Amino acid sequence: MLISQNQHTVLSEKLANTSQDLWALLPEIGIVVTVVLLIVFDLIFKKNKSIGLTAIAFAGLAYTFVLIIQQWHGMEESISLMSGLISLNKLSIFLKSGFTIGLSIALLTAIRSGKHKEDFFKSSEILVMLFGLLLGASFMTMSSNLLMIYISIEVVSICSYILTGLLKGKKKAEAAMKYLIYGAVASAIMLYGMSWLYGFTGTLNLTDQAFITTLNEIPQLPLSIACVMVMGGFLFKLGAFPLHIWSPDVYEATPTPIVAVFSVLPKLAALAVIFKFVNLVNTPAIDWELWIGVLAIASMTVGNFSALWQKDIKRMLAYSSIAHAGFLLVGVLAFSSSGNQAMLFYGSVYLIMNFAAFFLIQTFERQTGSTSFASIKGLGVKLPIVSSLVLIVMIALTGLPPTAGFNGKLFIFSALWESYQAGGPSILIWVFVFGLLNTVVALFYYLKLPYLLFFKTPQEEIQLDHREVIDGLLGTLLVLPLLLLFFRSDWLVGLVNSINFELWIP
Amino acid sequence: MVHLLSYIVFIPLVAAILVLLTPRAYKHLYRVLTVLGLGLTLALIIFAISGFDALVQSAINSESNLQLVEKTEWFSISLGSMGKFSVDYFVGTDGLNIGMLLLTGIVLLIGAIASWNIKEKQKAYFGLYLLLSSSILGCFVALDFFLFYLFFEFMLLPMYFLIGIWGGPKKEYAAIKFFLYTLVGSILILIVMIGLYNSVYDPVKTALEAGYEVSQVEQVQQLVQDGTIKSDQIVKSFNMIHMADADNYIPGSFLDKSSLAKIFGQPARWMAFLALLIGFAIKLPAVPFHTWLPDAHVEAPTPISVVLAGILLKVGGYGLIRTAFVMFPDSAYHYSWLIGFFGMFAIIYGALNALAQKDLKKLIAYSSVSHMGFVLMGLAAMTVEGVSGAIYQMYSHGLISAMLFLIAGVLYDRTNNRMIENYGGLASQMPKYTVFVAIAFFASLGLPGFSGFIAELMVLIGSFKSSAIPAWMPIVATTGLVLGAGYYLWTLQRMFFGKFWVKDKSWVPSLTDLNAREYIMLVPLVVLILVFGLYPSLLLDLINNSVESFADHLFQSRK
Repeated sequence: MLISQNQHTVLSEKLANTSQDLWALLPEIGIVVTVVLLIVFDLIFKKNKSIGLTAIAFAGLAYTFVLIIQQWHGMEESISLMSGLISLNKLSIFLKSGFTIGLSIALLTAIRSGKHKEDFFKSSEILVMLFGLLLGASFMTMSSNLLMIYISIEVVSICSYILTGLLKGKKKAEAAMKYLIYGAVASAIMLYGMSWLYGFTGTLNLTDQAFITTLNEIPQLPLSIACVMVMGGFLFKLGAFPLHIWSPDVYEATPTPIVAVFSVLPKLAALAVIFKFVNLVNTPAIDWELWIGVLAIASMTVGNFSALWQKDIKRMLAYSSIAHAGFLLVGVLAFSSSGNQAMLFYGSVYLIMNFAAFFLIQTFERQTGSTSFASIKGLGVKLPIVSSLVLIVMIALTGLPPTAGFNGKLFIFSALWESYQAGGPSILIWVFVFGLLNTVVALFYYLKLPYLLFFKTPQEEIQLDHREVIDGLLGTLLVLPLLLLFFRSDWLVGLVNSINFELWIP
Repeated sequence: MVHLLSYIVFIPLVAAILVLLTPRAYKHLYRVLTVLGLGLTLALIIFAISGFDALVQSAINSESNLQLVEKTEWFSISLGSMGKFSVDYFVGTDGLNIGMLLLTGIVLLIGAIASWNIKEKQKAYFGLYLLLSSSILGCFVALDFFLFYLFFEFMLLPMYFLIGIWGGPKKEYAAIKFFLYTLVGSILILIVMIGLYNSVYDPVKTALEAGYEVSQVEQVQQLVQDGTIKSDQIVKSFNMIHMADADNYIPGSFLDKSSLAKIFGQPARWMAFLALLIGFAIKLPAVPFHTWLPDAHVEAPTPISVVLAGILLKVGGYGLIRTAFVMFPDSAYHYSWLIGFFGMFAIIYGALNALAQKDLKKLIAYSSVSHMGFVLMGLAAMTVEGVSGAIYQMYSHGLISAMLFLIAGVLYDRTNNRMIENYGGLASQMPKYTVFVAIAFFASLGLPGFSGFIAELMVLIGSFKSSAIPAWMPIVATTGLVLGAGYYLWTLQRMFFGKFWVKDKSWVPSLTDLNAREYIMLVPLVVLILVFGLYPSLLLDLINNSVESFADHLFQSRK
């Protein structure tokens, strides 16, 4: 069939627009170029590749970060790209810059991981997968089209499965398999739900006016079923109740630097997707406040109470990240601009806290060869700097002053109170009370680390490698923002406030 | 002297940093630094009190009632259409906290001297002790809720380590129990803090934001009530003084005085008051939230018990006065019977428990529970006498309980055993020690001439004439005094009188009488207890005007 003249002009116009839109995707192009460079370098050189690969990775991240900063400064309003597949706004740029910083810290953690360092830098595989994950997460924050959301989630997921199973080991293989099976099912269900939404509305574009107007006419039951299915996939990535079961096993088996990435990048990206989805699929037929409220309470409670019984630090942090997913959802729940800002503030603090926590855990792992609670008994005397930093990070994760974790909680729960005061449903006050009381449970297990470090005496003599000073220095750089942002939280809030959370594109 | 209060709060912190920077080779300097730092702090506190103008009198919710005020903006955050909120570094004193400040200075210094023979991990111990000192002092002078909460929470962490590392056999259990209980309390306080800051605005800053003069505050308050000043120009505030003024509540907010909002089916203001009440009652501690206290006291090392009983418990009472009662006077009146009942119950229950204890330290811990009941009862009475008595009781109990724990420590240092039944007739072996024990016991049971008597008498008088609580409550509470005499005299008789006997003969050589360091700690306390028992006006004059304003503020709200 021949293309008519009319269609031809439309097509060529679209093509021209698309190639123009590529300029707005420069950071992502930067990531892709880094990936290509890593692979090519790996193919060309045979020996001593690690220095070159490290250099390329960090240079790529730095350059991407610069591109993202430029994008931030050039951004006024949200723009729609690639015929509505992508909408770029300051929210996504903010998250992307956070992801880049996060990945750099993860690579730094990998460098400091002693004998495991080889795994990361001797060849390009893990690095390529990590950058792939970064790419997927970046696109997740920008997608405004169901198909695009699906594809970017899949990119993140596939990279995650491979990262879990890439290194040898029975436990790793088991965890990767579990992860893959859970993930595949969640994705399939999500895709099925998306197909329902497409069936209802005839469009995949969430920002399309037609999408929401048609949804308003759909009866409650089928719409709810579709939304439950779609949310299933999102919650899997967020690692929130009830789709959290995979995370402890995966966290325990995967190398610590990678877990640090898992615990932040996909989570925050999924949060952005959920935020977008619940705000755009805004029909009276679905009581999002109730849904998200129940999910938040359940995530916090299940995460915190399960964390109490753990014997491995990484498993404990896995459950803690489930609880934090609940806290992040509270920001969505407020459905107000201060709620959105609080969510982003908390997300940023969460990023710093978690990367700092995993960095410090990694130094213990390097010293003792294990991440079990028993292995760190009495290390407080031998590694005083790192142990004191752990104490601060744990206080921040609990959400107590004087750390930014407290401000995060304060802002997020004030936003919730504000929404309740403005006539919100009664679920909000339940989330408010339960969420804050959860802090007490959280304290119990977060304090376990300082407790073992400082109160106990070591069981056996551990050979330390006397490199604590560098660990301490790097750790301080990570922990310092947590303290600074308590005393001057207006710095970060100012940045977050400049973000326009408007999702509609005129 | 400018920034006097800041010096008082931060000198211990500077000393803590100095301790951390001093190399281990000079570890004998740690305790010297601690004592010097806290001595300087006490000197500055006394200097502050000497300059305190007791004649200042204005409404309790007005900043003109404050002295030594320091107020600078810490940070402020714009919330877009919801206006702004600002956090100030705001400290100051009035009659409600000046006594607590003095008490804190005295007890901290005595605690530092009592720490003299701590041998293990000295750097960490003295560093944490000074950190704790700073946060307690900060908590008493902070007048911005955010700042107050920061200091309030920050007390927990050093305390956790001080009990958990240097404590007795079950120290870990006691430390975590202390931390968790108090954290539940602080979360309840945090809940109210969030609610309050969403309901209260700063009229001065709002005036500036909306383009008015600072002098037009009353006009601005009127305009906010009318709704002329829109929400985006309102500056929300954590200022505790503003929170005490009903005119500063944003109309339509949950904790506004005329608010009809309900939380869990109860009026929001009542719920907020209850949350604060429970939050601080855990710290106080009031029955039934007291169970952490005996554990913490028994396991904590002597100086930490002294600080815990002497000052930390008072933070609970002071918090009730400064936040719950002043900010929610109407709810306080509504629940005064409940508070009075809790107070009465604590007096009796604590005393009965003390009768049954076999461990000397546990006995003292339960006597603390009993005595802190008087604080609750005095507050519930809402009369000038009652409230003055409550504040006096906090002050007096701070001194007396510090002394009681010190004398328990004297015995424990010598034999590592505190069981009452293991001793008999100690008077013949340690006569001077026995004199001090007798003084402490008599002071604690409320013998006239000692400070405890004045305090309890004032509470009882205030409660009898109070219209807020029924008269049978103070009548029942009086029996607590009899029980107090019972357990103290019985203990005195069992341990000190009669023929000398100890369970383990190997203890005998170590049972020497008091040494010089113990005199240095005990003699000043005895003097202070006597002085404040004979000349109560020393403290009462300082606090009287503020207490009158406070009682007046409570009375106004009943109409």
